[in-house]
Amino acid sequence: VTAATMRFLARRLLYSLVVLLGVLVVVFAIVHLVPGDPVRIALGTRYTPGAYDALRAASGLDKPVLQQFFGYVGSAFTGDLGVSFRTGDPVTATLLERLPATISLAFVGIVIAAVIALPAGIWSALHEGRLSDAIVRVTSQFGVSIPDFWMGILLIALFSTTLGWLPTSGYRPLFDDPGGWLRHVILPGLTVGLVAAAIMTRYVRSAVLEVAAMGYVRTAKSKGLSPRVVTFRHTVRNALVPVLTITGIQLATILGGVIVVEVVFAWPGLGRLVYNAVAARDYPLIQGAVLLIAALFLLINLVVDVLYAVVDPRIRLS
Amino acid sequence: MGKLGAILAVCALTLFGPLSACSTGERVDLGEDASGNLVAAIAGEPDQLDPHKTTAYFSFEVLENVFDTLVQPDANLEMRPALAQSWEVSPDQLTWTFHLRKGVTFHDGTPFTGNDVVYSYRRIIDGQLANVDKFSAVTDIRAPDDSTVVIRVKQPTPNLLTNLGGFKGMAIVERKNVEDGQIATHPIGTGPFAFQGSKSGDSIALRANPNYWAGAPKVSGVTFRFISEPSTALSALQAGEVDWTDSVPPQRVSQLKDDDSINLTVTPSNDYWYLALNEARPPWNDVRVRQAIAYGIDRDAIVQATSYGTAAANQLAIPKGNPWYVPYETYRYDLDKAKSLLREVQAAGRPTPRNLDMLVTSEYPETVTAAQIIADNLAPLGITVNIRTVDFATWLDEQNSGNFDMLMMGWLGNIDPDDFYYAQHHSGGTSNAQKYSNPDVDRLLDAGRVETNRDARADDYAKAARLIADQASYIYLYNPSVIQAWTKNLSGYEPRRDGAIRFGTATLTRDGTQ
Repeated sequence: VTAATMRFLARRLLYSLVVLLGVLVVVFAIVHLVPGDPVRIALGTRYTPGAYDALRAASGLDKPVLQQFFGYVGSAFTGDLGVSFRTGDPVTATLLERLPATISLAFVGIVIAAVIALPAGIWSALHEGRLSDAIVRVTSQFGVSIPDFWMGILLIALFSTTLGWLPTSGYRPLFDDPGGWLRHVILPGLTVGLVAAAIMTRYVRSAVLEVAAMGYVRTAKSKGLSPRVVTFRHTVRNALVPVLTITGIQLATILGGVIVVEVVFAWPGLGRLVYNAVAARDYPLIQGAVLLIAALFLLINLVVDVLYAVVDPRIRLS
Repeated sequence: MGKLGAILAVCALTLFGPLSACSTGERVDLGEDASGNLVAAIAGEPDQLDPHKTTAYFSFEVLENVFDTLVQPDANLEMRPALAQSWEVSPDQLTWTFHLRKGVTFHDGTPFTGNDVVYSYRRIIDGQLANVDKFSAVTDIRAPDDSTVVIRVKQPTPNLLTNLGGFKGMAIVERKNVEDGQIATHPIGTGPFAFQGSKSGDSIALRANPNYWAGAPKVSGVTFRFISEPSTALSALQAGEVDWTDSVPPQRVSQLKDDDSINLTVTPSNDYWYLALNEARPPWNDVRVRQAIAYGIDRDAIVQATSYGTAAANQLAIPKGNPWYVPYETYRYDLDKAKSLLREVQAAGRPTPRNLDMLVTSEYPETVTAAQIIADNLAPLGITVNIRTVDFATWLDEQNSGNFDMLMMGWLGNIDPDDFYYAQHHSGGTSNAQKYSNPDVDRLLDAGRVETNRDARADDYAKAARLIADQASYIYLYNPSVIQAWTKNLSGYEPRRDGAIRFGTATLTRDGTQ
């Protein structure tokens, strides 16, 4: 690792912290501006003025907003993201409990997507206009259009209820029960992965087509290099940069929560957590979850940027 | 219990059919602690497990099995002994003496005494917690000795037992559990099952309490899994991964009734859905306009669309079969009657409705579905219904500030007629969002609160209920059903009309698998 790389990483880290602080300000402002009073929701209609005041004070919502904000930022820097209004659990602990399930699903989903999309996209581009290209394009169009909700239900009907090969729903931690983890993650992973694969295939195809039209590819061909070398060294390698970008975006999207898939497979990921938190106006949990998702986005961005430099040495980390 | 803390059988659009018919019976790993547990799939995750603070039905599905109340409702919703073995009322009806069961312990081994009852009730009253209104007549609670509790009331209170034991929101909790801040996440009760652990977004595990006063449960424990998608819950049941669920798609009920591999029950519940018109706003303050709406809606079509016919249409709140049921069939779908009522209003020089702002919430999809039918129903009356679909938080705000013409909502967990009518229709009622006010109804509801003669009391409420429906304070729609399904391996479990889920007497036989 060179000094330049270190300087690059340090600068990016600092930049990330600034972005996170910005995210914090915006989220804090938004949750307090959105209509809907968390205390009222918690009480439902068993509402009395006394009960309202008591719960409001217990949640710290009776303090001035600025005081709430600085109190929150102060403790957030020490890793304490407060206590959920709804559950009474510390937000940091809840998020850390949900994170492994989210990472499992995202990782398996993106691997499935890449394993399908890279060969399919490259094949399709290299056979542009032929029948196999048409098949890939139609299939991926189908994959983009099919709702993940529907696909999940079909997969359950086939692999769980009919064949009995895999569980319908639920999650097992990888380190407690690797076999159980695998069997539970396959169907939701496949649902996420197939949808992402359909999107990525189209990107890979157009990226490869674009590079294949470049002058240096023509030159490589004309100087008599074998089609294999032209394809992999000249075409595919140069097409990897845009492919990395879309992979990073897909991964970040899945990490931010794939709520429909989580609902269908009863998967304890971040998506449902955020959804419930917003419905209950659970300010600390919303803020903490958005902060975590933003941090994951920044991290993936950083990794993608570093990978750019790895696949394409012309790109400098600066 | 409060207003629909729960989603009643969410009507998701699940369309696939015959593929799921065959089941393998294979049981997927439960983890070592939980093997032999009964696995119950509920439709959502409890918010918190403090029975005095939560308002969510999902929480009460779990807490029903962890906590006890002083008395508790039997299958017919009559109050029976629980932590109190017996009780007597003084001749002036103002002093209730409860004799507590001896030898009961909390799950951590601490003995249960009268002080725990006093502590639990004082916690709700002094902390102004959500159920404080249940104690509105109570002036004093004390425990003269370890096995006696004396409650004094300011007026005769025929529904005191229902208030104290109607649901687990009135549970007897342990002081230490509250004071060390654990009750919301690690509750300790005296019930048939003890809290064992929870996995965020996934499940809660309970283990059997071998010392339970009514006898140890026959299953080693209960694992509640959170499966909100009904078609997934049903698949999990058919695949043998779960033993019981109340997350059943209503559109599949008629088909599942013929399925011999599972038990399916559709139990009429005490819950009800209604429409309310905002009487603080003209023209809805005119009783004839409200009645025109009541005649203008097609109740049967609404029942069919929202519940696939599993609910029972009702023009009053209390369902048939309930001891407080009153027959009432004034309204029918009759556009001519509705039009003539509106013409009467017009002839009297009063305003008639042109637009109707209908407030519904995506949290309860039945309200959105019904609103579309109602919009269609009222168009021939010259009324344009503007359906406003908001999230529940906004819905509560709008209801609270009176910013609506009509809304649709439901109430659940009611037992005593006072629960059904007082807060909603008394002019001083805490849930009278429609601002209904009628001195005769007020007088009848006040009288019912203190009337100790059962027949006279029933008469008060029957009169009040008829007035409420005649004047369309609420336009009652239907009583939904509690829909539950379980495997043939599960026995000793009975569905209840109050929606309480009790696994204390359930037995599980695993046929070879597992």
